[in-house]
Amino acid sequence: MSIDLPDNMQMPAASPEIFQQLGQLTRQLHDTMNMLGVLPDLKNHVDNLPDARSRLNYIATKTADAAEKVLNLVDTAKADQEHIATETRKLAALITADPVKAVASGAVFNFVQDVETTTHRVDGHLTDIMMAQDFHDLTGQVVAKVVRLANDLEGQLVKLLVQAAPPEQAQKVEAALTSHHAPIEPRLDGPVVNPEGRTDVVADQSEVDDLLASLGF
Amino acid sequence: MSNPADMKFLIVDDFSTMRRIVRGLLKEIGYNNAEEAEDGAVALNMLKNGRYDFVVSDINMPNMNGFELLKAIKADDGLKHLPVLMVTAEARKEDIVLAAQSGAAGYIVKPFTKATLEEKVQKIMQKLAATA
Repeated sequence: MSIDLPDNMQMPAASPEIFQQLGQLTRQLHDTMNMLGVLPDLKNHVDNLPDARSRLNYIATKTADAAEKVLNLVDTAKADQEHIATETRKLAALITADPVKAVASGAVFNFVQDVETTTHRVDGHLTDIMMAQDFHDLTGQVVAKVVRLANDLEGQLVKLLVQAAPPEQAQKVEAALTSHHAPIEPRLDGPVVNPEGRTDVVADQSEVDDLLASLGF
Repeated sequence: MSNPADMKFLIVDDFSTMRRIVRGLLKEIGYNNAEEAEDGAVALNMLKNGRYDFVVSDINMPNMNGFELLKAIKADDGLKHLPVLMVTAEARKEDIVLAAQSGAAGYIVKPFTKATLEEKVQKIMQKLAATA
């Protein structure tokens, strides 16, 4: 990254000694953190951040897909509902005008068939809307994983802070942390957020069935 | 069981949304009798103190996960006859194999469809009828 300074500002020329001192300080900090055992742990947690990003993307995609699916299904169901309402009004007019003709012409029978077909279709839309709510379970498991990662990272940063703080302050912070941090139960993997290129997971139900069939189940 | 529609299901999942979805789907495919448990420990207690015919269980749950519940069911002489259908987001092949080897009657990976649940339940029902 480069910074463009205004014409009237000049960057002061740094002497080689300053760079040397900065280099020494950085090296000392690095060595101290390594000696304290903080850096390797911290690095492990920071390395997990891209995984957290993937998981957050998965949540965003899943929730957006679910919302769109539900809204589309509601639109379709409302159109079906409106169709029934219109046909009902038409049939009511026919019956009012000439009840015998309404039956004899087949209008009543056709209406009954239409209602049956349309309500069956609406029932299907409602089932699909119900199924779309599965994002809550799937994203919930992923959220729990990201929260665990954030907690681990926070723990490592606090550990670093405690080790760098004066002893009396460090004791206070440690006591406060011990009383506030509830342990989080270890869990299984949960949903696969990046199945591409992985051979240890199945991509869909057909792969589950094939795997079980290959084992004789 | 004279009428399969009278079978009593126990749905085990820590997410209430998923329990409602499974319950709703079971109702749509003709099984109205279902109860719910939020984890394996609660489920095992219910199974030991009630009469159930079919268990549909998640795997990733607190307190007692689905594998532990499955093993506890298969280790109990009074419960081991129960078919256990796993419905889970765990998609690792080794988990699927472990479930099968531990005695699961079927394995459905989330997200799933109504058709998949219906097919697996009916397949298990047919096996039960054949061995009855």
